[in-house]
Amino acid sequence: MKQILRITIGLTISCLIAAFVMGAVFTQTDKAKKHNEYLNVQETMLGLLGYSKAKPAPSDLKLYNIYRYIIEDGEVKYLGYMIPVQKGSKIAYRLLTIDLKGKFLDLHEINISPEKAIEEPDRATALKDILNPPKNFTYVESIVIAKLGEKRLAYLLPGEFPGFKTFINVMLALNPDFKILGLEIMENEEDPGLGAEIEQEYFKNQFKDKTFKKIKELKVVKKPLPAEYKKYLETKKWKKGAFSEAMIERIRRNYQDKDIYAITGATISSNAVTTGVKNMVKKFVYRVGVLDNVIRTKDVPAAF
Amino acid sequence: MFFAGILAENPIFRLALSMCPAVGISTTVMNGVLLGIAVLFVQVFSSCTISAIKDYIHPRIRIPTYTLTIATWVTVIDLVLAAYMPEAYKAMGIFVKLIVAFAIITMRLEMFASKNPIIPSFWDSVGMGLGFMFGMMALGFVRELLGAGTLFGHDILGFRPLLFFILPAAGFFCVGFMMAIFNYVELVLKRMKQEKS
Repeated sequence: MKQILRITIGLTISCLIAAFVMGAVFTQTDKAKKHNEYLNVQETMLGLLGYSKAKPAPSDLKLYNIYRYIIEDGEVKYLGYMIPVQKGSKIAYRLLTIDLKGKFLDLHEINISPEKAIEEPDRATALKDILNPPKNFTYVESIVIAKLGEKRLAYLLPGEFPGFKTFINVMLALNPDFKILGLEIMENEEDPGLGAEIEQEYFKNQFKDKTFKKIKELKVVKKPLPAEYKKYLETKKWKKGAFSEAMIERIRRNYQDKDIYAITGATISSNAVTTGVKNMVKKFVYRVGVLDNVIRTKDVPAAF
Repeated sequence: MFFAGILAENPIFRLALSMCPAVGISTTVMNGVLLGIAVLFVQVFSSCTISAIKDYIHPRIRIPTYTLTIATWVTVIDLVLAAYMPEAYKAMGIFVKLIVAFAIITMRLEMFASKNPIIPSFWDSVGMGLGFMFGMMALGFVRELLGAGTLFGHDILGFRPLLFFILPAAGFFCVGFMMAIFNYVELVLKRMKQEKS
C-alpha cells in the first residue's frame, strides 16, 4: 500500500512538473509563434503576387480579408460574409447575409476594427453581439482580395484538402479571370522523398497559368515530366539569361493547356493536390459570383 | 565514452535501435542531418535531466518518467524553434515531433544516464546523438544517390538509377548491408589485433 502511494505521488509530481514546464514555455512562445505564422502567410501571399524583398509591393496594394460563416437559425441555414466596407477614409466590417440560393437577406454593422478582425475569437465575440441565440454561427474560411489602386489584382485563397496521409494546407492565387497565378503548399505531412515532393517547384509551379476553362477538366497524367519544362518550372534554379523572354513565352504557351504531370511514386498525392485545387477554384468562382452579384445589385459600399 | 556512440555502439548499426526513423526518414542526406541534430539535442537534454534527478525516481516508474522527460523536452524544443527560429522550424518541425517515440533515447537513459553522473552522461549522449546522425547520413547518402540521383538536393547523376531506394523497403536493405560492413570491419580489426599479439 505504501509503495502504491509513493508511486502515485511520484508520478503525479513528475507530471505536474512537466506540465508546468510545458505550460510556461507555451505561454512564453505562443505570441511569437502566432506572429511568425502571420508573417509567413503575408509573405507567401505577396510572393504569389510576384513581390519579394528584392521587389517590394507598391504602397497602393491593399489586401482585404473576407470571412465566410454559416449561420443557423433553427432549421434554416444561410451564409454570412464578413466584408470590409469603405466608411469615410477608414475600413469597417459589415456582415452580409445571403441565403443558399444566392438571394440577399440583410446587411448588419459589426463593431470590430480590421486589426482585430484577424483573430477568430475576436470576430466571434463581435458577431455574438448581432447574432443573438438561437442563431448559431460557424466560421468556414477566409478569402483575401488583393487590390492595386482601383483595380482588383488577385484573389488569394487559403485552402485545405485531404492528401495521402493527412490534410494538405495550401495558398492559391487567382487573377480576376480566375487564371491561376501560383500555388504554394503551406503545410503537409506526406512522405518525405515521395508525396512531400508536392512542395517542389517542378510540381507546384505546373499549376501556374492554368485558365479556369482548363482547371475545370484538369487531370493528372502519368508521363515523365519533359526536361525542358522541368527546367522552366524550377525558377529558383534559373541561371541569369538561361531563359529569354521568347523562350519563356513559347514554353508557357506550349504547356499551359497540358494536364498535371504526376510525381513519380506519389500518384495519390499528385491527384489529391490536383483535385483539391480544382474543387477550390470551382467553388470559389461560384461563390464570388454570387457575392459580387449581391454587392452590385444592393449597392453595398464594399472596399474590394 | 564519447566515441562509443559513434562506432562501437552506433545506435543504428550496432544496437539496432530506432529503426523506424532510420528506414522511414533517411531518404536524403539532408533529412539525416536534420533528424540527427534534433535527436542530438533531445538526447543531451534528457540524459542530463535524468542523470540529475536519478536518485529521486522510484525504480518502478522509471520508464514513464523517461517518457515524460523526453516528451517535455521535445515539446519545449518544438515550441522554442517555432517561435524564435521559424526558418529552422520549417525544415525540422516535422522531425522534432517524431522523436518522442525514439527507442534510442529511452534506452540510453535506462542504460547510462540513470546510473552515471551528469558529466559522463552528457558525453555519452553527445556521442550517441552524433552516432545517430552519422548513421542517418550514411543511409541518406546511399539512398539519395541511388534513389534520386542527387546529393543535398543537387543533381549529381542527372537521372534516377533505382527508384526503389527511396521506398521504405530499401531502408531495410541499406541498414542490413551497412550492418554487415560494420561487423566485417570489426572482425578484420580483431584479427589484426590477434595476429599482432
